[in-house]
Amino acid sequence: MTEADEEKVEVVVVGAGLAGLSAAYVLAQAGVDTVVVERGDYPGAKNVTGGRIYMHPLRHYLPDLWDDAPLERHVTRETITMMAEGASTAITLDNDKFREEPYHSYTILRSNFDRWFGDKVAEAGGFVLPKYRADDVLVEDGRVVGIVMGEEDEIRADVVVAADGVLSLIAEKAGLRQAQQPKHFAVSAKEVIELPAKSIEERFNLGPGEGAAQLYFGTLTKGMLGGGFIYTNQDSISLGLVVGIESLMEREPKIEVHEILEDFKARPEIRNLVADGEIVEYSAHAIPEGGINAMPKLYSDGIVVIGEAAGLGLNMLITVRGMEFAVASGVMAAEAILKAREKGDYSADSLAHYEELLKDSFALQDLETFRHVLGFMENPRLFNFYPQAVCDIFTELMWIDEKPKPKISTTVIREGVGKFLNWSTIKDGLGMLRI
Amino acid sequence: MDVIVCMKQIPDLQQIRIKDREPILDNVPLVWGDLDKNAIEEASKIKEAVEDVKVTVVALGSDKIEQGILEPLAMGADEAVLLTDPAFAGSDSMGTAKVLAKAIEKTGSYDLVILGEGSTDNYSGVVASALAELLNLPMISYVRELEVQDGKVKAVRNMEESFEVMEADLPALVTVAQEINEPRLPKFMAIRKAGAKPRHEWGPDDLGLAADEVGQNALSVETLSNLAPEQDRKNIILKGNLAEQIDALVDALTKEGVLGR
Amino acid sequence: MNVETKLGLDVFKIDKDAHIIIDQEICRSCEDKFCLYVCPGKLYSVNRETEEMEVECSGCLECGTCRIACIHGALDWNYARGGFGIQYRFG
Ligand SMILES: Cc1cc2nc3c(=O)[nH]c(=O)nc-3n(C[C@H](O)[C@H](O)[C@H](O)COP(=O)(O)OP(=O)(O)OC[C@H]3O[C@@H](n4cnc5c(N)ncnc54)[C@H](O)[C@@H]3O)c2cc1C
Ligand code: SF4
Ligand code: SF4
Repeated sequence: MTEADEEKVEVVVVGAGLAGLSAAYVLAQAGVDTVVVERGDYPGAKNVTGGRIYMHPLRHYLPDLWDDAPLERHVTRETITMMAEGASTAITLDNDKFREEPYHSYTILRSNFDRWFGDKVAEAGGFVLPKYRADDVLVEDGRVVGIVMGEEDEIRADVVVAADGVLSLIAEKAGLRQAQQPKHFAVSAKEVIELPAKSIEERFNLGPGEGAAQLYFGTLTKGMLGGGFIYTNQDSISLGLVVGIESLMEREPKIEVHEILEDFKARPEIRNLVADGEIVEYSAHAIPEGGINAMPKLYSDGIVVIGEAAGLGLNMLITVRGMEFAVASGVMAAEAILKAREKGDYSADSLAHYEELLKDSFALQDLETFRHVLGFMENPRLFNFYPQAVCDIFTELMWIDEKPKPKISTTVIREGVGKFLNWSTIKDGLGMLRI
Repeated sequence: MDVIVCMKQIPDLQQIRIKDREPILDNVPLVWGDLDKNAIEEASKIKEAVEDVKVTVVALGSDKIEQGILEPLAMGADEAVLLTDPAFAGSDSMGTAKVLAKAIEKTGSYDLVILGEGSTDNYSGVVASALAELLNLPMISYVRELEVQDGKVKAVRNMEESFEVMEADLPALVTVAQEINEPRLPKFMAIRKAGAKPRHEWGPDDLGLAADEVGQNALSVETLSNLAPEQDRKNIILKGNLAEQIDALVDALTKEGVLGR
Repeated sequence: MNVETKLGLDVFKIDKDAHIIIDQEICRSCEDKFCLYVCPGKLYSVNRETEEMEVECSGCLECGTCRIACIHGALDWNYARGGFGIQYRFG
C-alpha cells in the first residue's frame, strides 16, 4: 500500500438499506475494501417498508445468506379489498404453494432486518459506519472520487455507490437526476401495532408463523391515487396508507395523510383487526411512483446508482415492490464494480456494464412491462367508481328484504350494464390492456 | 504521562421501551454514555497540550464492543483495554470499581484517571469514588475545567452557585461534568486507523479475580425491581373555547389537590 | 390518536440545528401552502405573530414529502445530521 492508498478506500457505499448492504456484502466477500456510510444510528434506523419481501429473487442473487435473517411471518394468504362508501368487497387467495418451503415471501420490519444485514456485511469484512451523513460527492477532473461528510471530512474511493434511497440527494448532487416532481412520488404513513401472536393468528385465520398480506384500494384514499395495506408480523401488525403526492396537493377540499389513515383505521373492516392493539411506532416515507419514465442516469465516471435511488420501485396499485429490486441492483452493481476493478478502470464506459446487467434482469424488465401502470392509476374512477360499482352489485345480490328479488342474471345485467358499459369504462378497459 | 479513561457501554436510553412497566432491553443498541465521551475528549485534549501523554481507554461492555471501541480510539486514545468477559456483566457499582481498579493497576502506570460524572444508565455515581479509594488516589469531582502541569492537576469544580478551584498532586482521579468540553466527531480516516491500535481483552483471570469476586456473584447491593412509575392517566378532555378550557383545567387540578392547597 | 401523540411514540435524537430551512420570502407570496397539509407529521404551521412559515424539525420523519411538494423552491431541505433525527425501532 502506498501512502495515497492509505487515505482512500476502494468503494464507498452511501446508505445501509437493502441496496447498499447487498452491494457491500458482495464486494466485501470478494475482498474489496468497502465502507458503507449510514446516517442513522444503525442500519435500518431510517428505513420504512410496508412489509413484505419476496424471497425467490433474494435467494437467486444472494444464495445462502438468509437462513438466520430476522423474518417475521411467511405470507400464506393474500387479500385484495375494494373499498366503497360503507361497503367493501374482498378477494382472498389461499394457495398451498404459499405453504411450501422455501417460502415465497415474508413480512419484515426493516429496523431489525437491516441491522442484521449490516452485521452480515461487517462479518464479511465490510466496514459499516453509522451516524455519518454523506453530504456531497467529491469531484475531480469531472469524475467522482469520493464523498464529502460535513464541513471537513471526506472519504476518497475508486467508486461511489449511491444507495441512499428514494430521495437520493447524492445522485442529485452528482448531476445524475433532476429535481423531483410530485407526480413521481407517493407518501406513506404507517403504524406498527402490537398484538399478541395468538390474537393475530386468530383474527387473520393463520397457523403459527403464517402471515397475511392485505391490500386495500378504493374510496379510502378519497379519490386520490393510492391505497392501504396491512401486513402481519410475528407480534405486531404493520398498517399503512400510500397516497400520490400530486393528488394530495391537488385535492379539494384539502385533507391530510394522517386523517386519511385514521379514517381507514376507523372502518369496521379494519377496526376489529387491530382492536386492543398498542401503537408502538408511527412512520412516514416517500415511495417512487414514476417507474421507468422517471429513472435517473444509472452511472457516470466513478459512481453508480442503485435501489430506490435509481428509481427502482414499482407501485402496481395492489403491491409496492422495491426490496427485491434493491437487492438485485446492489448485487449487479457489485458485479460490475468487480469487473471494473479487474481492469482498473472505473470510468463511465467501464461501469456501463451495470446497466447492461440490469437490463437483462427481471428488475428493468418488470419496470418496462409495467411502464403504463402509473398513467392507468392516475384514473380517479379506479378509486371511487369501480369499487363502488362492485360493492353495489354485490350488495344488490346479497340484500334480502320483504320485496320480491329479481333473478340474479337480471340483477347483474341491469347493474352491470348500467354501470360498466359506457364510454369512459370502455376506455379504461382498453387502458388496462396496456399494463 | 499515562492517562486512563474509564468508559462503559450502556443501552441507548432513548431506545428503551416500557411494556407492562418493565424496560425492554432486547435489541437496544449499546452506546457510550455522554459523559464518557467528555472524559475521553478531555484526555485527548491533554494529549494535545502536554508532551508524552499516552491515553488508555479501559472499557466495560459486551462482545458488541468491537465497533464501539473505535470511537474513543479515533478520538485520540492510544490503546484500549476491553473488559467484555460475560463474568463482569451485572456488576454493581462496587464490583465495577473493583474490576476497573484491577485493570488500571495491570496497565502498569497511571498518572491521571478520568471518568464521566456518573454513568447515565443508573446514576448511582459511586463508581468513581470507590475507584479512587481502591487505587488510593486523591479525587476531584464535577470538574468543568482541567489543567495538567508540573505533576499537578488543577481543576475548576462546578458547584451549584459557585466555582471551586482545586489542585492535587498526580496521580489523581477526576470526574468530568458535561460543560467541560464538546466531544469531537472523529473523522472517517481516524476511525479506520483506530482499528490498528492495540487492544487487550482481559477477563477475571487476567485481573487475578476469582469467579465469585465479580459480576452478579459479588453483589453488595441487590436490585429488587426496576419498574417504570405507574402512569395513571385521568383522560379528562377539556371542552369549549380557550377561556372555558382554562377554567375547566383549574377546576380539575383543584379537585385533584394539585392547585389551591 | 392525534399525530402529536403518535410522534411521541417515536425515538428522535434532537439536534440543535434545524435541517429544513424555509425561505420566508418565497412563502409570503405562495398561495398554495402545500406544506401545511402534505406533511404526515403535521409539522408546518404559520406563526401567528410573525406570520412566518415554521417547521418543527424535532418531530420530522424525514420522509421528504415537503421537499417534493414545495414546487416553489422555498425549502433548503436536508436529512437530519448523522446520528440525529428519527431512529425507527420497527421501520
Ligand atoms: C410504506 C412503504 C411500503 C412498502 N412496501 C413494500 C413491500 O411490501 N415490498 C417491497 O418490496 N417494497 C416495499 N416498499 C419499497 C421498499 O421499502 C424500498 O424499495 C426499499 O426499501 C428500497 O431500498 P434501498 O436500499 O434502495 O433504499 P432504503 O431502504 O431507503 O435505504 C437508503 C439508505 O440510505 C441512507 N441514506 C440516505 N441518504 C444518506 C446520506 N446522505 N448519507 C448516509 N446515508 C444515507 C438511509 O438512511 C437508508 O438507510 C415500500 C416502501 C414504503 C415506504
Ligand atoms: S414551503 Fe413551499 S408550499 Fe409551503 S408556503 Fe412556502 S412556498 Fe408555499
Ligand atoms: S420531511 Fe416529511 S415529516 Fe419532515 S417536515 Fe417534511 S413532510 Fe414533514
